[in-house]
Amino acid sequence: MSAPATPVMVARDLRVSRGGRTLVHVERFEVRSGLVHVLLGPNGAGKSTLLKALNGLEQADGTLEFEGRPVRGSADRLALRRRTAAVAQKPYLLSTSVIDNVASGLRYRGVGRREAHAVAKEALEMLGVSHLASRKPGTLSGGEAQRVSIARALACDPAILFLDEPIAALDPPTRRSLVDDLMRILDQRGIAAVWVTHDRDEALAVGDSVTFIEMGEVVQSGPALEVFSRPATESFATFLGLDTYLEGSVVVGRAGDLHFVLDTGHDLSCGEAPLGHAVACIPPEDVVLLTTVPEHNMSLRNILQGTVREVRPDGRLLRVIVAADGLDVAALVTKAAFEELALTIGSPVAAAVKAAALHPIPRHERLNQAP
Amino acid sequence: MQVIWDGIAEAMRLIFGGDADVLQITLRSLWVSGLALLIAVLIGVPVGSLIALRSFRGRRLVVTIINTGMAAPPVVVGLLVAMFLTRNGPLGQFRLLYSTWAMVIAQVIIAFPIVAGLSLAALQQLDLGLRQQIAALGAGRFQAFVAQLREIRIALLAAVMAAFGAVISEVGAVIMVGGNIKGQTQVLTGAIVQETRIGRFAIAIALAVILMTLAFGTNLALTLIQQKGRQSG
Repeated sequence: MSAPATPVMVARDLRVSRGGRTLVHVERFEVRSGLVHVLLGPNGAGKSTLLKALNGLEQADGTLEFEGRPVRGSADRLALRRRTAAVAQKPYLLSTSVIDNVASGLRYRGVGRREAHAVAKEALEMLGVSHLASRKPGTLSGGEAQRVSIARALACDPAILFLDEPIAALDPPTRRSLVDDLMRILDQRGIAAVWVTHDRDEALAVGDSVTFIEMGEVVQSGPALEVFSRPATESFATFLGLDTYLEGSVVVGRAGDLHFVLDTGHDLSCGEAPLGHAVACIPPEDVVLLTTVPEHNMSLRNILQGTVREVRPDGRLLRVIVAADGLDVAALVTKAAFEELALTIGSPVAAAVKAAALHPIPRHERLNQAP
Repeated sequence: MQVIWDGIAEAMRLIFGGDADVLQITLRSLWVSGLALLIAVLIGVPVGSLIALRSFRGRRLVVTIINTGMAAPPVVVGLLVAMFLTRNGPLGQFRLLYSTWAMVIAQVIIAFPIVAGLSLAALQQLDLGLRQQIAALGAGRFQAFVAQLREIRIALLAAVMAAFGAVISEVGAVIMVGGNIKGQTQVLTGAIVQETRIGRFAIAIALAVILMTLAFGTNLALTLIQQKGRQSG
């Protein structure tokens, strides 16, 4: 990300209403060039509606500016759609050949058939599916169809790519390879993206910035790690699962096992994960609190010694925050277990986490340099 | 039973012998029904699409009227057209009654609701997500309309087949507004009625065979196109 991120789109006081009811409202939302903006939230929060309003598919009140110009009437919205592209959860391929599908956006923009096909072929090559060019949509697998759908969007050379849960319907290995390819292309071509998801791991893996939406309103917005580390409301924290988020790198240890070395210097054993920069989540239910550390404990391999910083009720359980050498680690314990351990604020305690419970989520290389 | 075999033999003789009267009646049938179908498609598809894609006041009533029109008895259509075209009727000045034009008008009225209603139903069933995806691809209004019609082309062909079947086999309206005048307005269905009435069963059967062959041939051609579209979809 060499060029400074400039706003390509700015939405102010944008509101989508239907039948007198507000479906979604944002005070301010900016799409900056070269960055991936994630709209995160539970189902029915209004994320997709906001995406459609930003893409000119949905009429909205308020101000929407694209490349410095206001988007007002239907002609402006069509012009906006012709400078951007969208990918939905379902590929929605037209019932024609793959190459004609990928060329369709260009054809709507008035590009001649031959030129459109040449660009479409390049886009298919970029996504590694050029061999599918003459196939019909009905013969493609889900992953292939979604790659074609993404190629179709990228063939239009969009200023912004709008993605509405683009990998939600795919199996995990297909998701992973598609995200890798998509992030590489976005980075290479400096395309801004607005990415809707309800999956926090996906948001963390792809997002430069995250906007959390709930019941049609923006709850919190900011750089991805900041937002994940400090959820502003209880509902957002609940949505995130109140996990502990740690930033670091997955490396191979001397014994050949995998370690997650935190940016703070902590060295933790972790489960299977690709090497490189990552964010690890420690689910609080996987953290065991100990007042005495056993000498030989092969299954609980990560021991973080610290003191109890905070205790608060969490449903029928208690959430205990352990401050361990500059790290805050959350643990969920039963009230009985808490009393048995005789813990109070400031008590020395060890937070034990199995290596297998530590799941580093790889961050795309470009995101390491994100502001 | 013998009369049926005689009829089939007569049909073969008339068809392959190139009987001028039969040829003329057949061509007239094709012309009247073909032109009526073309006009019904040209009006019905856009009207059906407009109703399917737009929301407006009274939409449900319009849809109900179109659906009722799909089941309208041809004799009722014939009666209405005759009332309008009769010398004292609102359109009497054009002197169209008992002409092939009157027959075309009546058949357009029969075919139009079938084409419009089936187009409307097919477009309504088109996934909203696909419609939005077409718009998101940058399609303008007309481009989106054409793209959507392309997506429902199999259903559209079914609508055309249904409408053709309705008009080519229809007898009530064409006789009422065309008069079944031999050499002028007589079409296959009308000729079958007349030949049966005067007891010339062999010729009636021959004409029926021709009518069925026409219907079969047209539907076979449309079905082949339709199934090809299905495979390429």
